[in-house]
Amino acid sequence: MRVIIHDLGKQYDGLLKNKCDCLIRADGRYAPCQGCFNCWTKHPARCFMGDSLQEVCRIVGRADELIIISENCYGSYGPNVKNIIDRSIGISKPLSTYRGRQMHHKLRYGMHKLIHVIAYGAITEDEKETFSLLAERNALNFGFENLQFTYIDNIDSLESCI
Amino acid sequence: MKTVFINCSPKKKFSASAHFLGICRLAVYGDVVKTNVRSKGDYKKVLEHLKGADNTVFVLPLYVDGVPSHILGFMKELENFCRENNITLNIYVISNGGFIEGEQNQVLMKIFENFCARSGLTWCGGVGIGGGVMLNVMRMLFLVFTGILLLSVAISGIEHGEWLPQQSFIIYAKQLALILFLHAGVIAYVWKMGLAISKSNKFGIRYTRVMMPSFLFIIVADFFFTAISLFKGGMFRGWLSEK
Repeated sequence: MRVIIHDLGKQYDGLLKNKCDCLIRADGRYAPCQGCFNCWTKHPARCFMGDSLQEVCRIVGRADELIIISENCYGSYGPNVKNIIDRSIGISKPLSTYRGRQMHHKLRYGMHKLIHVIAYGAITEDEKETFSLLAERNALNFGFENLQFTYIDNIDSLESCI
Repeated sequence: MKTVFINCSPKKKFSASAHFLGICRLAVYGDVVKTNVRSKGDYKKVLEHLKGADNTVFVLPLYVDGVPSHILGFMKELENFCRENNITLNIYVISNGGFIEGEQNQVLMKIFENFCARSGLTWCGGVGIGGGVMLNVMRMLFLVFTGILLLSVAISGIEHGEWLPQQSFIIYAKQLALILFLHAGVIAYVWKMGLAISKSNKFGIRYTRVMMPSFLFIIVADFFFTAISLFKGGMFRGWLSEK
Protein backbone atom coordinates (compact mmCIF):
# COMPACT_ATOMS: atom_id res chain seq x y z
CA MET A 1 0.00 0.00 0.00
CA ARG A 2 1.21 3.48 -0.86
CA VAL A 3 0.45 6.15 1.73
CA ILE A 4 1.01 9.90 1.43
CA ILE A 5 1.07 12.32 4.37
CA HIS A 6 1.15 15.99 3.42
CA ASP A 7 0.62 19.47 4.83
CA LEU A 8 0.13 21.30 1.54
CA GLY A 9 -3.50 22.22 1.97
CA LYS A 10 -6.76 20.88 0.62
CA GLN A 11 -6.12 22.09 -2.94
CA TYR A 12 -3.43 19.40 -3.38
CA ASP A 13 -5.67 16.51 -2.32
CA GLY A 14 -6.91 15.88 -5.86
CA LEU A 15 -3.43 15.64 -7.32
CA LEU A 16 -2.07 13.45 -4.52
CA LYS A 17 -5.06 11.11 -4.26
CA ASN A 18 -4.26 9.81 -7.73
CA LYS A 19 -0.77 8.91 -6.64
CA CYS A 20 -1.54 6.72 -3.62
CA ASP A 21 -3.88 4.25 -1.97
CA CYS A 22 -4.38 6.37 1.13
CA LEU A 23 -3.96 10.10 1.62
CA ILE A 24 -3.57 11.76 5.02
CA ARG A 25 -3.77 15.53 5.07
CA ALA A 26 -1.99 17.10 8.02
CA ASP A 27 -4.51 19.83 8.80
CA GLY A 28 -3.66 20.15 12.48
CA ARG A 29 -7.19 19.34 13.63
CA TYR A 30 -6.04 16.76 16.13
CA ALA A 31 -4.33 16.66 19.49
CA PRO A 32 -0.61 16.10 20.06
CA CYS A 33 0.67 12.81 21.49
CA GLN A 34 0.43 12.72 25.29
CA GLY A 35 3.22 10.17 25.72
CA CYS A 36 1.01 7.80 27.74
CA PHE A 37 2.08 4.62 25.86
CA ASN A 38 -1.51 3.35 26.05
CA CYS A 39 -1.29 2.56 22.31
CA TRP A 40 1.22 -0.09 23.40
CA THR A 41 -0.01 -1.17 26.80
CA LYS A 42 -3.77 -0.66 27.02
CA HIS A 43 -5.43 -0.76 23.59
CA PRO A 44 -2.71 -1.79 21.11
CA ALA A 45 -2.32 0.29 17.93
CA ARG A 46 -5.13 2.63 18.97
CA CYS A 47 -4.83 6.05 20.60
CA PHE A 48 -7.02 6.93 23.58
CA MET A 49 -7.82 10.28 21.93
CA GLY A 50 -10.85 9.92 19.69
CA ASP A 51 -9.87 12.27 16.87
CA SER A 52 -8.95 11.64 13.23
CA LEU A 53 -5.58 10.16 14.23
CA GLN A 54 -6.98 7.58 16.62
CA GLU A 55 -5.98 4.64 14.40
CA VAL A 56 -3.48 6.37 12.10
CA CYS A 57 -0.71 3.95 13.10
CA ARG A 58 -2.70 1.09 11.51
CA ILE A 59 -2.56 2.93 8.16
CA VAL A 60 1.09 3.94 8.44
CA GLY A 61 1.92 0.43 9.66
CA ARG A 62 0.49 -1.14 6.49
CA ALA A 63 2.35 1.19 4.13
CA ASP A 64 4.88 -0.54 1.90
CA GLU A 65 5.72 2.89 0.62
CA LEU A 66 5.30 5.99 2.76
CA ILE A 67 5.66 9.44 1.24
CA ILE A 68 5.84 12.38 3.63
CA ILE A 69 5.55 15.87 2.17
CA SER A 70 6.29 18.55 4.75
CA GLU A 71 7.34 22.13 5.14
CA ASN A 72 10.76 22.57 6.70
CA CYS A 73 10.74 23.61 10.34
CA TYR A 74 14.34 24.05 11.58
CA GLY A 75 15.36 20.80 9.88
CA SER A 76 12.29 18.92 11.05
CA TYR A 77 8.83 18.18 9.72
CA GLY A 78 6.33 20.96 10.32
CA PRO A 79 4.27 20.63 13.53
CA ASN A 80 1.18 19.19 11.80
CA VAL A 81 3.10 16.42 10.04
CA LYS A 82 5.26 15.70 13.09
CA ASN A 83 2.09 15.31 15.09
CA ILE A 84 0.98 12.47 12.80
CA ILE A 85 4.37 10.80 13.11
CA ASP A 86 4.31 11.18 16.91
CA ARG A 87 0.85 9.62 17.02
CA SER A 88 2.05 6.67 14.89
CA ILE A 89 4.27 4.95 17.45
CA GLY A 90 1.74 2.14 17.71
CA ILE A 91 3.26 0.76 14.50
CA SER A 92 5.87 -0.71 16.79
CA LYS A 93 5.50 -3.04 19.76
CA PRO A 94 6.49 -2.11 23.30
CA LEU A 95 9.20 -4.78 23.35
CA SER A 96 12.73 -3.82 22.36
CA THR A 97 15.40 -5.07 20.01
CA TYR A 98 18.55 -3.85 18.27
CA ARG A 99 18.40 -2.26 14.81
CA GLY A 100 21.34 -0.44 13.30
CA ARG A 101 23.34 -1.33 16.42
CA GLN A 102 21.00 0.75 18.58
CA MET A 103 18.01 0.00 20.73
CA HIS A 104 14.64 0.27 19.00
CA HIS A 105 11.18 -1.21 19.37
CA LYS A 106 10.11 -4.38 17.60
CA LEU A 107 7.86 -3.80 14.61
CA ARG A 108 4.16 -4.68 14.75
CA TYR A 109 3.77 -4.80 10.95
CA GLY A 110 7.25 -6.00 9.94
CA MET A 111 9.66 -4.21 7.63
CA HIS A 112 8.44 -1.71 5.02
CA LYS A 113 9.94 -1.00 1.61
CA LEU A 114 10.43 2.72 1.17
CA ILE A 115 10.04 6.00 3.01
CA HIS A 116 10.33 9.08 0.82
CA VAL A 117 10.53 12.40 2.62
CA ILE A 118 9.93 15.50 0.51
CA ALA A 119 10.75 18.80 2.20
CA TYR A 120 9.77 22.19 0.92
CA GLY A 121 9.96 25.82 2.06
CA ALA A 122 12.90 28.03 3.01
CA ILE A 123 15.81 25.92 4.19
CA THR A 124 19.47 26.42 5.09
CA GLU A 125 22.22 23.91 4.36
CA ASP A 126 22.38 22.95 8.06
CA GLU A 127 18.63 22.41 8.15
CA LYS A 128 18.77 20.28 5.02
CA GLU A 129 21.44 18.12 6.61
CA THR A 130 19.42 17.84 9.84
CA PHE A 131 16.20 16.99 7.99
CA SER A 132 17.97 14.30 5.99
CA LEU A 133 19.39 12.84 9.21
CA LEU A 134 15.95 12.92 10.85
CA ALA A 135 14.46 11.03 7.89
CA GLU A 136 17.29 8.49 8.16
CA ARG A 137 16.59 8.01 11.88
CA ASN A 138 12.84 7.65 11.26
CA ALA A 139 13.48 5.06 8.54
CA LEU A 140 15.49 2.99 11.02
CA ASN A 141 13.04 3.52 13.85
CA PHE A 142 9.92 2.62 11.84
CA GLY A 143 11.61 -0.19 9.91
CA PHE A 144 11.87 1.10 6.34
CA GLU A 145 14.42 -0.70 4.20
CA ASN A 146 15.02 2.21 1.83
CA LEU A 147 15.06 5.95 2.30
CA GLN A 148 14.78 8.76 -0.16
CA PHE A 149 15.09 12.40 0.88
CA THR A 150 14.21 15.15 -1.57
CA TYR A 151 14.14 18.89 -1.16
CA ILE A 152 12.05 20.89 -3.60
CA ASP A 153 12.40 24.66 -3.79
CA ASN A 154 9.38 24.97 -6.03
CA ILE A 155 6.14 23.19 -5.12
CA ASP A 156 5.27 22.95 -8.83
CA SER A 157 7.95 20.29 -9.18
CA LEU A 158 6.18 18.07 -6.64
CA GLU A 159 4.37 15.94 -9.20
CA SER A 160 7.59 14.86 -10.87
CA CYS A 161 8.97 13.70 -7.49
CA ILE A 162 6.19 11.28 -6.74
CA MET B 1 20.52 36.76 36.01
CA LYS B 2 17.12 35.32 35.11
CA THR B 3 16.73 31.74 33.94
CA VAL B 4 13.45 30.31 32.65
CA PHE B 5 13.03 26.54 32.70
CA ILE B 6 10.39 25.31 30.27
CA ASN B 7 9.06 21.84 30.98
CA CYS B 8 7.87 20.70 27.56
CA SER B 9 6.35 17.39 28.60
CA PRO B 10 2.62 17.05 27.84
CA LYS B 11 2.21 15.19 31.13
CA LYS B 12 0.82 17.12 34.08
CA LYS B 13 2.70 15.16 36.73
CA PHE B 14 5.44 12.57 37.15
CA SER B 15 7.10 13.39 33.83
CA ALA B 16 10.74 12.48 33.30
CA SER B 17 11.29 16.06 32.09
CA ALA B 18 10.15 17.42 35.48
CA HIS B 19 12.61 15.05 37.15
CA PHE B 20 15.60 16.26 35.10
CA LEU B 21 14.48 19.86 35.43
CA GLY B 22 14.51 19.41 39.21
CA ILE B 23 18.06 18.03 39.13
CA CYS B 24 19.34 20.89 36.97
CA ARG B 25 17.51 23.51 39.01
CA LEU B 26 19.64 22.60 42.06
CA ALA B 27 22.78 23.86 40.32
CA VAL B 28 21.37 27.10 38.91
CA TYR B 29 21.51 30.24 41.01
CA GLY B 30 19.95 33.65 40.43
CA ASP B 31 16.33 34.37 39.55
CA VAL B 32 14.75 31.12 38.38
CA VAL B 33 11.27 30.66 36.88
CA LYS B 34 9.74 27.27 36.10
CA THR B 35 6.95 27.06 33.55
CA ASN B 36 5.54 24.58 31.05
CA VAL B 37 4.23 24.23 27.51
CA ARG B 38 1.61 21.52 27.11
CA SER B 39 -0.61 23.17 24.53
CA LYS B 40 -1.11 26.38 22.54
CA GLY B 41 -2.94 27.84 25.52
CA ASP B 42 0.38 28.01 27.42
CA TYR B 43 2.25 30.07 24.80
CA LYS B 44 1.25 33.51 26.08
CA LYS B 45 2.15 32.76 29.68
CA VAL B 46 5.57 31.39 28.75
CA LEU B 47 6.41 34.24 26.39
CA GLU B 48 5.64 36.73 29.17
CA HIS B 49 8.13 34.92 31.41
CA LEU B 50 10.79 35.21 28.71
CA LYS B 51 10.68 38.99 28.72
CA GLY B 52 13.80 40.08 30.59
CA ALA B 53 15.20 36.55 30.80
CA ASP B 54 18.85 35.81 30.10
CA ASN B 55 18.72 32.04 29.82
CA THR B 56 16.06 29.60 28.68
CA VAL B 57 16.28 25.89 29.33
CA PHE B 58 14.02 23.61 27.30
CA VAL B 59 13.49 20.31 29.10
CA LEU B 60 11.71 17.88 26.83
CA PRO B 61 11.12 14.27 25.85
CA LEU B 62 12.41 12.87 22.56
CA TYR B 63 9.47 12.01 20.28
CA VAL B 64 10.23 9.77 17.29
CA ASP B 65 13.83 10.99 16.92
CA GLY B 66 12.91 14.66 17.10
CA VAL B 67 11.11 17.49 18.84
CA PRO B 68 7.49 16.81 19.94
CA SER B 69 5.00 18.47 17.59
CA HIS B 70 3.52 20.82 20.19
CA ILE B 71 6.99 22.23 20.88
CA LEU B 72 7.74 22.80 17.18
CA GLY B 73 4.67 25.02 17.11
CA PHE B 74 5.89 26.90 20.17
CA MET B 75 9.36 27.37 18.66
CA LYS B 76 7.84 29.07 15.61
CA GLU B 77 5.88 31.35 17.92
CA LEU B 78 9.00 32.09 19.97
CA GLU B 79 10.99 32.92 16.83
CA ASN B 80 8.44 35.58 15.85
CA PHE B 81 8.18 36.86 19.42
CA CYS B 82 11.96 37.31 19.77
CA ARG B 83 12.23 39.09 16.43
CA GLU B 84 9.35 41.45 17.17
CA ASN B 85 10.60 42.30 20.66
CA ASN B 86 14.35 42.24 19.95
CA ILE B 87 14.83 39.58 22.59
CA THR B 88 18.10 37.72 22.85
CA LEU B 89 18.33 34.56 24.93
CA ASN B 90 20.85 31.88 25.70
CA ILE B 91 19.22 28.56 24.83
CA TYR B 92 20.00 25.29 26.64
CA VAL B 93 18.30 21.92 26.18
CA ILE B 94 17.86 18.82 28.33
CA SER B 95 16.24 16.06 26.29
CA ASN B 96 15.48 12.52 27.29
CA GLY B 97 14.58 9.47 25.24
CA GLY B 98 13.28 6.07 26.29
CA PHE B 99 16.04 4.19 24.46
CA ILE B 100 19.27 3.72 26.34
CA GLU B 101 21.60 5.56 23.96
CA GLY B 102 21.78 9.26 24.79
CA GLU B 103 23.15 9.81 21.28
CA GLN B 104 19.65 9.18 19.89
CA ASN B 105 18.94 12.80 20.93
CA GLN B 106 21.43 14.06 18.36
CA VAL B 107 18.89 15.19 15.75
CA LEU B 108 16.84 17.01 18.38
CA MET B 109 19.93 18.97 19.41
CA LYS B 110 20.60 19.93 15.79
CA ILE B 111 17.01 21.12 15.38
CA PHE B 112 17.43 23.44 18.36
CA GLU B 113 20.75 24.67 16.98
CA ASN B 114 19.03 25.49 13.67
CA PHE B 115 16.19 27.17 15.56
CA CYS B 116 18.68 29.44 17.36
CA ALA B 117 20.42 30.32 14.09
CA ARG B 118 17.09 31.33 12.52
CA SER B 119 15.83 33.23 15.54
CA GLY B 120 18.99 35.16 16.38
CA LEU B 121 19.27 33.38 19.74
CA THR B 122 22.46 32.00 21.25
CA TRP B 123 22.79 28.23 21.16
CA CYS B 124 24.62 27.17 24.31
CA GLY B 125 24.24 23.41 24.13
CA GLY B 126 22.52 20.67 26.01
CA VAL B 127 22.46 17.23 27.56
CA GLY B 128 20.89 14.27 25.75
CA ILE B 129 19.81 11.54 28.13
CA GLY B 130 19.16 7.87 27.32
CA GLY B 131 16.87 5.72 29.46
CA GLY B 132 14.88 8.71 30.69
CA VAL B 133 11.76 6.69 31.50
CA MET B 134 13.72 4.26 33.65
CA LEU B 135 15.44 7.07 35.56
CA ASN B 136 12.04 8.60 36.20
CA VAL B 137 10.77 5.26 37.51
CA MET B 138 13.81 5.19 39.81
CA ARG B 139 12.69 8.53 41.24
CA MET B 140 9.31 7.02 42.05
CA LEU B 141 10.98 3.95 43.54
CA PHE B 142 12.97 6.29 45.80
CA LEU B 143 9.67 7.53 47.23
CA VAL B 144 8.41 3.96 47.62
CA PHE B 145 11.62 2.86 49.36
CA THR B 146 11.42 5.87 51.69
CA GLY B 147 7.82 4.95 52.53
CA ILE B 148 8.82 1.34 53.25
CA LEU B 149 11.65 2.53 55.52
CA LEU B 150 9.33 4.78 57.50
CA LEU B 151 6.82 1.95 57.81
CA SER B 152 9.44 -0.52 59.02
CA VAL B 153 10.73 2.04 61.54
CA ALA B 154 7.20 2.53 62.85
CA ILE B 155 6.52 -1.22 63.09
CA SER B 156 9.88 -1.93 64.72
CA GLY B 157 9.40 0.94 67.16
CA ILE B 158 5.88 -0.02 68.16
CA GLU B 159 6.48 -3.78 68.37
CA HIS B 160 10.01 -3.94 69.78
CA GLY B 161 10.68 -0.41 71.01
CA GLU B 162 13.57 -0.21 68.52
CA TRP B 163 13.20 3.08 66.65
CA LEU B 164 16.43 2.76 64.66
CA PRO B 165 16.29 -0.72 63.06
CA GLN B 166 19.80 -1.12 61.68
CA GLN B 167 18.88 -3.69 59.04
CA SER B 168 16.16 -1.47 57.52
CA PHE B 169 18.56 1.47 57.27
CA ILE B 170 21.24 -0.68 55.65
CA ILE B 171 18.78 -1.92 53.02
CA TYR B 172 17.59 1.66 52.41
CA ALA B 173 21.16 2.93 52.04
CA LYS B 174 21.87 0.22 49.45
CA GLN B 175 18.72 1.11 47.50
CA LEU B 176 19.64 4.79 47.61
CA ALA B 177 23.19 4.04 46.46
CA LEU B 178 21.85 2.04 43.50
CA ILE B 179 19.50 4.85 42.45
CA LEU B 180 22.31 7.40 42.70
CA PHE B 181 24.64 5.15 40.73
CA LEU B 182 22.10 4.76 37.90
CA HIS B 183 21.77 8.58 37.88
CA ALA B 184 25.53 9.27 38.07
CA GLY B 185 26.01 10.36 34.44
CA VAL B 186 22.88 12.52 34.45
CA ILE B 187 23.73 14.23 37.74
CA ALA B 188 27.30 14.95 36.61
CA TYR B 189 26.38 16.45 33.24
CA VAL B 190 23.15 18.18 34.20
CA TRP B 191 24.72 19.84 37.24
CA LYS B 192 27.73 20.85 35.17
CA MET B 193 25.37 22.44 32.67
CA GLY B 194 23.49 24.08 35.55
CA LEU B 195 26.71 25.80 36.62
CA ALA B 196 27.31 26.93 33.01
CA ILE B 197 23.75 28.32 32.90
CA SER B 198 24.37 30.31 36.09
CA LYS B 199 27.26 32.04 34.34
CA SER B 200 25.51 32.18 30.94
CA ASN B 201 28.44 30.19 29.54
CA LYS B 202 28.34 27.90 26.54
CA PHE B 203 28.25 24.25 27.52
CA GLY B 204 28.43 22.24 24.30
CA ILE B 205 26.52 19.00 23.75
CA ARG B 206 26.92 15.98 26.02
CA TYR B 207 25.19 12.63 25.88
CA THR B 208 24.67 10.36 28.84
CA ARG B 209 22.43 7.50 29.92
CA VAL B 210 21.21 5.40 32.76
CA MET B 211 24.33 3.66 34.10
CA MET B 212 23.46 0.13 33.03
CA PRO B 213 24.62 -2.23 30.27
CA SER B 214 22.43 -2.04 27.19
CA PHE B 215 21.49 -5.76 27.13
CA LEU B 216 20.36 -5.58 30.75
CA PHE B 217 18.41 -2.39 30.09
CA ILE B 218 16.45 -4.11 27.31
CA ILE B 219 15.52 -6.98 29.63
CA VAL B 220 14.35 -4.53 32.31
CA ALA B 221 12.46 -2.38 29.77
CA ASP B 222 10.71 -5.46 28.34
CA PHE B 223 9.76 -6.58 31.83
CA PHE B 224 8.45 -3.08 32.60
CA PHE B 225 6.23 -2.91 29.51
CA THR B 226 5.05 -6.50 30.02
CA ALA B 227 4.01 -5.73 33.58
CA ILE B 228 2.28 -2.47 32.58
CA SER B 229 0.50 -4.20 29.67
CA LEU B 230 -0.69 -6.95 31.99
CA PHE B 231 -1.92 -4.39 34.51
CA LYS B 232 -3.66 -2.19 31.91
CA GLY B 233 -5.11 -5.12 29.99
CA GLY B 234 -3.40 -4.54 26.63
CA MET B 235 -1.94 -8.03 26.86
CA PHE B 236 -5.44 -9.46 26.47
CA ARG B 237 -6.29 -7.23 23.50
CA GLY B 238 -3.82 -8.50 20.92
CA TRP B 239 -0.83 -6.90 22.54
CA LEU B 240 1.75 -7.84 19.91
CA SER B 241 -0.43 -8.63 16.92
CA GLU B 242 -1.17 -6.66 13.76
CA LYS B 243 -4.29 -4.57 14.00
